[in-house]
Amino acid sequence: MSDVHVQLLDLACGAFLLTGVLILWRSELAKIVTLFALQGVALAALIAVLGAHEGSAELLAVAAGIGALRAGVLPSLLRRALAASGERRETKPIVNVAASLVAAAVLALLAYAVCQPVIRLAPTPATQAAPAAMTVIFLGFFVLATRRRALSQVVGFLLIDNGITAMAFLTAGGLSPVVEIGVSLDVLLAVLVLQVLTTRMRAAFGGTDLDELRELRD
Amino acid sequence: MNLLFPGALALCALASLLAALPPARMRSALAGTVLAGAGATALAAGVAAMTGRTWSAWLPDLLPLAGVRLELDALGGLFTAVTGGVTAAAAIYSIGYARHAPRTAQILVPLFAAALLLVPAAASVSTFLLLWELMAIASLLLVLADHRARPAVRSAGVWYAVLTHLGLVAILGGLAAFAAAAGGESFAELRRADVNEATAIGVFLATFAGFASKAGIVPLHVWLPRAHPEAPSHVSALMSAAMVNMGIYGIVRVGLDLLGGGPRWWWLVVLAAGALSALHGILQAAVASDLKRLLGHSTTENMGLVLIGVGAAGFFEASGERALAALALAAALLHVINHSAFKTLLFLAAGSVLHGTGTRDLDALGGLRERMPVTTAVFALGALCASALPPGNAFVSEWLMLQSLIRSLPDGGVSAAVVMPLAVAAVALTAGLSAATFVKALGTGFLARPRSAEAERAHEAPPSMLAGMALAGAACAALALGPTLVLPGVADVTGQVLPGRGPATDGAYLRAAASSLSPVLIAAALAVTAAALLAVLRALAMRRARRAARLWDCGAGPMTARMEYTATSFAEPLQRVFDDVLAPESDVEVTHVKESAYLVDRVRFQAAVPDRIEHRLYAPAIALADRLGRASRGLANGSVHRYVGYGFAAFAVTLIVLAVTG
Amino acid sequence: MIGAAAQVVLIGVGSPFLVGLMRQVRARLEGRAGAGIAQPMRDLRKLLRKEPIAPHGTGWPFRAAPLVLAATALVVAAVGPFATTDSPLDPAADLFAVTALLALGTVALALGGLDTGTAFGGMGASREMTVMALVEPTILLAAFALSIRVGSTNLGQIAASVAEDPLSVISPVSLLAAVALIIVTMAETGRIPVDNPSTHLELTMIHEAMVLEYAGPDLALIEWASAMRLTVLLGLFAGLFTPWGITLALPLALAVFAVKVAVLGALLAAAEVFMAKLRLFRVPELLAGSFLLALLAVAASFFLERA
Repeated sequence: MSDVHVQLLDLACGAFLLTGVLILWRSELAKIVTLFALQGVALAALIAVLGAHEGSAELLAVAAGIGALRAGVLPSLLRRALAASGERRETKPIVNVAASLVAAAVLALLAYAVCQPVIRLAPTPATQAAPAAMTVIFLGFFVLATRRRALSQVVGFLLIDNGITAMAFLTAGGLSPVVEIGVSLDVLLAVLVLQVLTTRMRAAFGGTDLDELRELRD
Repeated sequence: MNLLFPGALALCALASLLAALPPARMRSALAGTVLAGAGATALAAGVAAMTGRTWSAWLPDLLPLAGVRLELDALGGLFTAVTGGVTAAAAIYSIGYARHAPRTAQILVPLFAAALLLVPAAASVSTFLLLWELMAIASLLLVLADHRARPAVRSAGVWYAVLTHLGLVAILGGLAAFAAAAGGESFAELRRADVNEATAIGVFLATFAGFASKAGIVPLHVWLPRAHPEAPSHVSALMSAAMVNMGIYGIVRVGLDLLGGGPRWWWLVVLAAGALSALHGILQAAVASDLKRLLGHSTTENMGLVLIGVGAAGFFEASGERALAALALAAALLHVINHSAFKTLLFLAAGSVLHGTGTRDLDALGGLRERMPVTTAVFALGALCASALPPGNAFVSEWLMLQSLIRSLPDGGVSAAVVMPLAVAAVALTAGLSAATFVKALGTGFLARPRSAEAERAHEAPPSMLAGMALAGAACAALALGPTLVLPGVADVTGQVLPGRGPATDGAYLRAAASSLSPVLIAAALAVTAAALLAVLRALAMRRARRAARLWDCGAGPMTARMEYTATSFAEPLQRVFDDVLAPESDVEVTHVKESAYLVDRVRFQAAVPDRIEHRLYAPAIALADRLGRASRGLANGSVHRYVGYGFAAFAVTLIVLAVTG
Repeated sequence: MIGAAAQVVLIGVGSPFLVGLMRQVRARLEGRAGAGIAQPMRDLRKLLRKEPIAPHGTGWPFRAAPLVLAATALVVAAVGPFATTDSPLDPAADLFAVTALLALGTVALALGGLDTGTAFGGMGASREMTVMALVEPTILLAAFALSIRVGSTNLGQIAASVAEDPLSVISPVSLLAAVALIIVTMAETGRIPVDNPSTHLELTMIHEAMVLEYAGPDLALIEWASAMRLTVLLGLFAGLFTPWGITLALPLALAVFAVKVAVLGALLAAAEVFMAKLRLFRVPELLAGSFLLALLAVAASFFLERA
């Protein structure tokens, strides 16, 4: 890989990671959706850099598709859900923001540690950026585990998916386009289902605080 | 033959006699002077041992079976020298401070000092354990010195007695297993022995737990902030500046020297314990409002920092980076020396405050700057040193420690890459919080206006106490400005301790690192700049004398001392920031006027920051022990016959077991 | 030697103008005319002419604090890699040492504030020390991240290595560390969103509460020192991330430095217009975020830079 490619790849990974971290940081739901869209752009850029390096038109097409879905379609769906819900902020997350950020720092180091075997297999610049993708997966789980609003949950889920996609492209040169398209459609479907669920929840409880679901247990 | 060390011990014995025999009014002066001489001699003996003139003795008849084996080598010499220095300052101070102390306490102080001097010189397991216990008992009795005056002392004594003996059990078990596996009990034999891995792990973990409890390492620290403040202040200084060091000595001696290093995970455990202690200690200190308790928590913090260095040294050693290991260990040992210097100073100053005002509650102090100018000045020096700011001495050792942690990275492997940044962050947060803590201690305790009648009546300490503090202060200043005076000695010690003992060129890295920072230069630059500024300002703007003026009171009339910020209010933002970690408890009780529920008659507010580890870990353990004790009461119904019967049964069972298995 | 002296003179004289420039940028963006960039200098002159004051009950810590604050700022101005990397105080030109020196100034001022024995002094000191304690880990980790490539924490060496290879600045490590250091700079110099330098509402003040009792020449010294700290921190930022021009001849290097700091200051002031001050207890979130970025910078230096 040429120096320019490596540097661009690193930058894309940095942006990918940074948007993930910022999602954890901000509490306005609208900002979170914007950041998620930006992360989609970073992911697309990442794949595009890989594609440009390999000179593969297929990868470039996949990059365009992923960009359109993750930076365009999904955020606009989320925005619509947000407008309908009337909720503005992630109030009172289970772990407060400062502690979440410190936890994220530890998660990043953990991701670095667990990715070492993968990197040792094929130490290319692309695999060496794998910990960034791993960190985003961890952050997605963390958001799922600690945030209350349904929209944050969806974003957490999507973060995991973004992370997995990035991981796949960084370590294995990507899945075949068919699989990738199939997975992306699954994600789209899941988001639609979650949106329906959110609407139902709001109709039943008047809010989307997931802790309210506990009442269903009895 | 180096006769300084036995001389120091003899002087300690003499001091003890002088505290017992002469008439009461001369005791403290005589014993204090002689003990100071003993301290100075021990300092010289330690330095001599560090420079290669070691001392050893073999007294086969003193102890049955094993005999007493003593050897003061370079590592032991360093700790003996530190103890000697602390003893000298504390002894001079005690001339004035302990004038009215009970005779037992005065007799015990020199014995305690002697035990502290001897522990690093022990060269066999039995000798070491004996001296260790002597040190523990002497300090325990000294903690209990004031038990008639304050009931809190008794509870502190119980905590200390239990934990120090649990620690002793752990050390005893570990070292006994080590000696059994090695087939000999002198340290020389242990060093040569080749024990199998499982034994080595057991020995290391057991002794680490025991030594950590002496050094006040989390989670075995609970006795420290209780016992250290309750002892008389010169004893607090000896405990906090010399006795805790013995825990570090034990870890270095057993882990690095006798066991010869070990796998990396041992040292990661040490490093993690150190980082946890540093953060826990300084957080507790930041919210403490009892001056001596604050200093006790700060001891936990500093021992934690030292352990970070020791852990890093062991880690680098196990990774094969000898030069870095030497750097980290030297930083840790230098921090031991620095901590002893400033902690002696701070505890002695706290003793003066207690002597001059009768209180050590920071919320009730203040205004000591005018009433106790010398004490305030030396406390300020100690606070500067303790908060790791230039030109203080702790800055140098923490700087070295950070250098060693940072340089590890390029090829340290995964665990280094994960652990070292976190360790750097822990050291940095500790440094920041310690600055806040000591600004609080100095700013609310000594500056501003007195917050209580006791503080209003404060008076300066007598000359002997001031002299003791001045000695400790001079040591701080010397260490701060001239770390290069002690660093070569420390480098030699690290060269001898680290397994594989290479040639003395190991210190080269250290010297290179040390020469890239010049504390003298920083201090001089600051002093020159400040003086130049003052001169320019005098010439330009301050030709007129300062005019006295009122403080800004929002136009509401003169402010009272009750409106000042107290230590508790100073720490409130920090307490809020670390709310999740500290879990403070507060309680508001509002009493309404009888006639109306809307008018408030009185508001009572109570807040406390309990030690969370103690809460979560020790309370259940104590409850369990309590339950077991109650359950076993059925065995003891008061009948003497029954008790004799138990003894007989145990005796018979033992014999049967021996007969069957033998 | 001459270089260091020139740096000190430039920072000493220029820093009030930097503050003036930042105020002017803000004023223009807010639609005001502004007082001109020389106004802070005129304020200093006015304060210096006033008579010195000794408020009741204050002592040597109160008197010494402005001197210590100014002295630390001047020493840092002398050692930093602003226009030259060969400082006569090279052993002090270490990132840790510089951080600690600036912290020493803060501590001195906090003690001065506490010495007055007023509620405001204590309040300001307490808040300032809280912010400082939380800022420390970020600075050291960012320093760590920057020092890995160079193998040293010496400022001159870091700057020189970046000057040799200017493209290395656009790596994730540098960018993350830069963002972390910007946040830290805003916190250390008491700018929005951590503190508002132009507020005089006691309950929200940090820095201004601490120096409430200072007047006349003492206040002049503090204002001057604060301006220098701002300049020095922006200068360090410029020196670490954009050390272009540091290798030029001295007069040119000084001019480049002045331009860089002026641009940075103007950008900072412009950004402030769009921000509101955070509540004091939201500040830890901001600092935790900057800590995270600094740690990521360190992590990134392993997982991205070993290619």
